[in-house]
Amino acid sequence: MRRKLKKILRSNNQKNKQTTTGDQTTSPADKTPISKNIDENEKNLRFLYENSFDVVFREFSIARKEKALLVYIDGMSNLEEIDEHILSPLMKESIDKYYESLSVLVKNVLSVSEVEEINSFNRLTQALSYGKPIVLMEGFDHAVAFGLQKWDQRSIEEPISEAVVQGPREGFNEVLKTNATMLRRRIRSPQFKMKTKQIGRYTTTEIAICYVEGLAEPTLLEEVENRLERIDIDGVLESTYLEEMIEDDPVSPFPQVLRSERPDTAAANLLEGRVVIIIDGTPLVIIVPSTLFALMQSGDDYYNRYMAGTAIRWLRFVFLFIALMFPAVYVALMTYHQEMIPTALLFSIAASREEVPFPVLVEVLLMEFTFEALREAGLRLPKQIGSAVSIVGALVIGEAAVTAGIVSAPMVIVVAITGIASFTIPRYTASVSIRLLRFPLIFLASFLGLLGIMLGLIMLGTHLCTLRSFGVPYLSPVAPLNGSQLKDVIVRAPWYKLNKRPHFTGDYNKYRQAPGQKPGPKKGMGD
Amino acid sequence: METGKISGLQMAIMMHSAILATVILLVPAIMAKEAKQDLWIVPITASIAGFLALFVIIQLHKYFPKKTFIQYSEKIIGRIPAKILSFVYILFFLQTTSVMFRQYAEFVSGNFLLKTPSIVIIASMAFVCAFAVRGGIEVVGRTAQLFIPTVTILFLFLIIFLFNEMDVENMYPVFENGIMPIIKASSSPAAWFSEFMIISFMLPFLKEREGGMKWGIISIVSVVILMVITNITSLFVFGETTVKLTYPIMSAARYISVGDFFEHLESVIMAIWVLSVFIKISVFYYVLVLGTAQWLELSNYKPLVLPFGFLLTVMSVWTPNLPELTDYLKRVSPFNLPLFYLVIPTILLVVAKVRKLSTTH
Repeated sequence: MRRKLKKILRSNNQKNKQTTTGDQTTSPADKTPISKNIDENEKNLRFLYENSFDVVFREFSIARKEKALLVYIDGMSNLEEIDEHILSPLMKESIDKYYESLSVLVKNVLSVSEVEEINSFNRLTQALSYGKPIVLMEGFDHAVAFGLQKWDQRSIEEPISEAVVQGPREGFNEVLKTNATMLRRRIRSPQFKMKTKQIGRYTTTEIAICYVEGLAEPTLLEEVENRLERIDIDGVLESTYLEEMIEDDPVSPFPQVLRSERPDTAAANLLEGRVVIIIDGTPLVIIVPSTLFALMQSGDDYYNRYMAGTAIRWLRFVFLFIALMFPAVYVALMTYHQEMIPTALLFSIAASREEVPFPVLVEVLLMEFTFEALREAGLRLPKQIGSAVSIVGALVIGEAAVTAGIVSAPMVIVVAITGIASFTIPRYTASVSIRLLRFPLIFLASFLGLLGIMLGLIMLGTHLCTLRSFGVPYLSPVAPLNGSQLKDVIVRAPWYKLNKRPHFTGDYNKYRQAPGQKPGPKKGMGD
Repeated sequence: METGKISGLQMAIMMHSAILATVILLVPAIMAKEAKQDLWIVPITASIAGFLALFVIIQLHKYFPKKTFIQYSEKIIGRIPAKILSFVYILFFLQTTSVMFRQYAEFVSGNFLLKTPSIVIIASMAFVCAFAVRGGIEVVGRTAQLFIPTVTILFLFLIIFLFNEMDVENMYPVFENGIMPIIKASSSPAAWFSEFMIISFMLPFLKEREGGMKWGIISIVSVVILMVITNITSLFVFGETTVKLTYPIMSAARYISVGDFFEHLESVIMAIWVLSVFIKISVFYYVLVLGTAQWLELSNYKPLVLPFGFLLTVMSVWTPNLPELTDYLKRVSPFNLPLFYLVIPTILLVVAKVRKLSTTH
């Protein structure tokens, strides 16, 4: 009995695999044809959709004579449109004369813009699962699928994880088509292309590979498609599923693709020659290739005046290092290099540490763990309780622990500043990596002091130098150095200076604008 | 074997720290012994050895553009003699690299981590370097490009903070004892400059084929400039007493005081110095591993990286302690380094010229 079950499951899996990887029209499972006999078709369909309450079968007669069947999935199709544009014209007696072939019917009777003729069950179930209503008719070995999908979707909201102060407020939502439209509305050129593809044995999730023809290097596009092609997975529910399958170096704490829920960020990256992958069911799109510096940039950099943008960028780099190293440096200074701390400060720290029973390392770990736990708890708890947690955190951990002599006040300050610093990193995935890497550095600092921190940083630097994202060195344009590209990394140069697209991704089509557009009275006069 | 490519700038930076990293700490005192207040001129005269080594290697490189020293020695003096010579070279690189580890360990354990056993200090560095060397020349080049500019800028900043302590009078009288003491004092740094020979192991991987000479010269000049700055700093701050200090620059760092808040920055000096020592050791470690792989005609050098890491750690524990090491650097290095870095390559070049080897290998 069990063996039989397994066999069925296996064949089922194989069938699904073929639908995802093979070409739709040539796979053998595709060959199951639609019969001319409508009763047989109905029987087959009912068997396929056994125990699926949401699949609706509606029998009706075309022109009061011929038997026909409408199949759709409840909640995924637009019922009003079906009634108005499919059922009511087909049931009229006057269409009798068109009942000779499907194409004639489609051409003359059915007032639906997106129509597809289907000749196999495979394609039929696929269309059905995308919410398309299907009509089968007696005497025809073709079915018709109508593009009348409609389902509830979250309205377009402000992206939560990537807020900007001034700038577009739209964020992607979970529906691929809506997301694609948002990109199309930003890049209206016909050279903006979107190729679709299905991934997932069971989910057959639709993804779209977007690029601008003439900007994206064809080899990059090919590489992206190849890497996606290899994926054979049960389901894709979020972009990280794909991210981890297409990364260059899977054992790295650093994300090698950029994930964003901002259409403006995605569009800007498309214009720099990168490739965007939209995945149905998640608001986060994948942008490849990515560099470390791309993870450190926010849309706000470009929506502020360039001087402010530059200053904020520098601030972020400083706080990146604080988030990474501050507790480690504190441990190193307190354990090995007390002489570096100014005397007055050293005295006050020593005084507040007098009652603390733990060594600095234990104290740091205690506080860091507590802080991370508070942050995690704050994320998971319902909003109403969230504020309670922060009160408990601030009062109990901050005040009471210090008064009780469990931790010292400077330690609280160190952990708090580190916490704030990690929030300045604009990408959540990057900030998680930095939070993780803090702990090995703390241990190294307690073993070897500043030397340990340096060795840790060297390891980190070396690792970053080995990383690549779709062939682009992760630290470019700093290492390998490309001097002219630094003006969009170290500083944010004004737009009239950014004539060239970024190195590597932009080499295919170097210039993004006409040179010499710096505004000024002399040029404006036209002399 | 090595598929990576480096840019001329990366090569220059790697060579820069391969020379400068250890020189900057120990050598001012050694130079000051003979040259006294003229020690700032010494790097300039000593750099001649660097230019010579560069010239010889570039000439040899022209004969065999895609081969390293180990590989083309075979073409010049025949297979068996070349194998023996290469083996001696590998032993030599093994020894010099382990001396570098020892210098590093002596410096760190003598000044900062007094109680940490030196094997921990050496092994941790060996591990980090092995990590970089495994990545190949490309990764070493990129890390150098990432770290060394930062190191240099921080170093110059620290020197600016020392301006208060400097006394220009310490420089006079210039050429008090004529030119001879300067030439004598040059012997030790000249030995270091001849280390430029290892550029032979980078030239085949250079992206811009013709840029070797240009970037080599830039690299030497930058080393000279930084050495002069270092010497002038220790001369201006300490004057004649430079001789008595083991690490003049470190001692100078103790004088730094910025706004009465940043004081005792020796640890910072150590921290940034570790970065450039890391590059130096990685470069030599890479040369050692690559050279061995080419000597054994292996298809890949990566399996050799970890074993050599262990070997280097052990060898550097065997290496004598600081006083003996300083003595060694003063008495032996001026002879054995130029022998391997300058004399033997020159002989090879002469042989190649005499045998009129064609340049189309």
